[in-house]
Amino acid sequence: MSFLEFLNFHLVPGIVLGSVYAVGAIGITLVFGILRFAHFAHGDMATLGAFIALALVTAGLTPWAALPVAMAAVAVVAIVVDKLFYDYLKARPKIMTVMASLGVALMLRAVVQVVFGVDPRTYATGIVRPDDYFGILLRDRELYTLAAVVLIVIGLTLFLRHSRWGKAMRAMSDNPDLARLSGVDNRKVTMLTWAIVGALCAASGFMLGINNELHSMMGWQVLLPMFAAAILGGVGRVEGAVLGGLIVGIAEEMSIFILPAQYKAATAFVLLLLILLVRPRGLLNGKVL
Amino acid sequence: MDLLGLANYAVFMAILIGIYALLALGLNIQWGFTGLFNAGIAGFFAIGAYASAILTSLPASGRLGGYELPLVVGWLASMVAAAAIAWPIGKICLRFRSDYLAIATIGIAEIIRLVIRTEGWLTGGVRGVTGIPRPFGDLDYMPSQVAYLAIVATLVLIAYLLVERQVKAPWGRMMRAIRDNELAAAAMGKQVEARRLQAFVFGSALMGLAGALFVHFNRSVTPEAIDPMIATFLIWIMLILGGSGNNRGAILGAAVIWIIWSVSELLTDRLPTEVAVQAKYARVFIIGLTLQLVLRFRPEGILPERQAGSPPHR
Amino acid sequence: MALLDMKDVRGGYGDADILHGVSMTVGEREIVVIVGPNGAGKSTAMKSVFGLLTIRGGSIVFDGEDITGWAPDRIVQRGICYVPQVDNVFREMTVHENFEMGAFLRRGDLSAAYDRIYGLFPDLKAKRRNLAGDLSGGQRQMVAMGRALMLDPKLLLLDEPTAGLSPKYMEQIFQITRDVRDAGVSILLVEQHAKQALAFCDRGYVLATGANRHEGSGQALLADREVAEMFLGG
Repeated sequence: MSFLEFLNFHLVPGIVLGSVYAVGAIGITLVFGILRFAHFAHGDMATLGAFIALALVTAGLTPWAALPVAMAAVAVVAIVVDKLFYDYLKARPKIMTVMASLGVALMLRAVVQVVFGVDPRTYATGIVRPDDYFGILLRDRELYTLAAVVLIVIGLTLFLRHSRWGKAMRAMSDNPDLARLSGVDNRKVTMLTWAIVGALCAASGFMLGINNELHSMMGWQVLLPMFAAAILGGVGRVEGAVLGGLIVGIAEEMSIFILPAQYKAATAFVLLLLILLVRPRGLLNGKVL
Repeated sequence: MDLLGLANYAVFMAILIGIYALLALGLNIQWGFTGLFNAGIAGFFAIGAYASAILTSLPASGRLGGYELPLVVGWLASMVAAAAIAWPIGKICLRFRSDYLAIATIGIAEIIRLVIRTEGWLTGGVRGVTGIPRPFGDLDYMPSQVAYLAIVATLVLIAYLLVERQVKAPWGRMMRAIRDNELAAAAMGKQVEARRLQAFVFGSALMGLAGALFVHFNRSVTPEAIDPMIATFLIWIMLILGGSGNNRGAILGAAVIWIIWSVSELLTDRLPTEVAVQAKYARVFIIGLTLQLVLRFRPEGILPERQAGSPPHR
Repeated sequence: MALLDMKDVRGGYGDADILHGVSMTVGEREIVVIVGPNGAGKSTAMKSVFGLLTIRGGSIVFDGEDITGWAPDRIVQRGICYVPQVDNVFREMTVHENFEMGAFLRRGDLSAAYDRIYGLFPDLKAKRRNLAGDLSGGQRQMVAMGRALMLDPKLLLLDEPTAGLSPKYMEQIFQITRDVRDAGVSILLVEQHAKQALAFCDRGYVLATGANRHEGSGQALLADREVAEMFLGG
């Protein structure tokens, strides 16, 4: 295999997949870090976002114009889900919220299945030929995906670094008792976190859908790689989630050199167990719950 | 439906309830008494199912098997196989909060599903394993069903008694203390890890046995027979609704939820085909919603955990 | 009239009382120290001022207003800030961001407040972009105090600020505490190092088993034979 072939058939798809995982993993790491539980409805929230975008595309929007609308819609869904199903559990052990989120995962998926059916769908039909950039083959949708991920990561990082409420979110993740002593309103931070997480879910679902196809299990199937990415990078670390996402995505695409293709999905699991075994705080020294 | 048909259906349901009761008891050891979150129940169930199927089935071309070993060997193997998968997972994940175990068990269930679909030489791939013997399978339909029900009921009873004895022993008291008090757990350190691992492995072994009972009842197994998410979730809701931490609650929950689930399936099957598919998923929605309602309004379940040895009010 | 006036406070965290009648006052621009043997309820007495436990008797009056039973966030707004003994900084935020979080409830131009804090803690000025978690124990304690001072409180509560610090840093923290007092803030602190603390404070209280045992000026308590026998090794 030539270097260009390696690049075009393994590395580039790995980077694209990895950046989509990164967007999902950022959401997981925010919930894990700030609200302190593993959110199992994350994947199915992404599915919902992908299908909301599909409905908008069917109504006449172009896919990339549908994305921000879907992000806003799922942000609202996430806030409502929290109010209905998670918020009242906050005084009980966090693992109860984990369980509730598993129930929410099932409910969200059922909604998608009832409304949109279970057959695979796509945003656009037809085969898109990739363009040649000095030997590197990229499709427009892949370019846009990478650009969107970079924008999301930069925007979120700036928000967390420099805005008042971004700092409040970091403070809540860092030391919740002290944040409350400083007068940070827990309810506001929770709501804001869900809005961001919901929007990120929709973005990751949409990007999965546009680079492949949409089906009702798509989100559930990427839950494990996204969790692996979040833990690999270090729980609570946005930059860790990005790093973890890229590693998991690239590793999945490379796995075919040592594993039968059917076992691609096992890569994330192996990485997860490995990191828990040797460095549970993750590469960038995150939290361990 | 005539009377005989009704009796047939009742026995059929009772057998499945027994199998689910075993699963719920297994989960009760893990979650109810020890606080371990197993989100991959279907995986341990499937491992047990295939282990026993491969060892005891008739020969078939294209896949491993045809050993025609005695049933007891198959059933023991189903428990050993599930326990053998549970052990390393628990070893790695039980050091952390249960969230990590939940993630890892989702992962292992997914991998088990992949292996079953992919490794045709071992599991028969999508065609599955057929020709699995059933004890008293040579009898007429009804006696054979009743005999199988007796076997399942006996095994549930044995499991129930074993778990009850263990829970009342110092082991059980210690586990509850650990579950209810993170600080106490941290103080006891290494010993706690070992106990948690025992609970996780033993609970998983019971789930494996349930898988074996399931395939010998059906005489065959295919990958489609076990929908990982729904199977896992049904067991969870059985335990939570019945009363986690209470073995009778676990069995009662298995009965209640399985009856509701099956009857609702009978109802949706009668719907016209245009809406039947939607109705199928609406049932899943309702099962998810039921969990939320139970968590909210009756978190202790129908039969709450008995607080052995503690004063009646706290 | 005293800034803080606790009268016969009883209460605890759950059903059991830890405090069985604690009374103390803190005046304007005064450093008051609480000492006592382990389990005397020193930290608990201080936390009762900040609304962190269930009070079942007595009263706490601050600046002319009864604050008994108030929630911590309301007490913060009223002008009392609390520095916990452990986990008292945002470790993954910079020194400056810690101060910003301290001023979370304040709006408007804060440059004067930052100048004041960096004036009190000149060492931290050079480290303002460092993560608080990377600082030494003594510097972390300064960050914690600075964070609490950002709200411009009238009363600062310090829970064992010198725990685990070297003697050099202990001296430094005491000196800073005096500087803070001189800047117009009253201070109530709990101390394990009874001898050093009594030597530097204005007044002290000795608690034992959740109740007042002795009180007086630091020097008087140091000279008291019974107090000396209690902690100071005879």
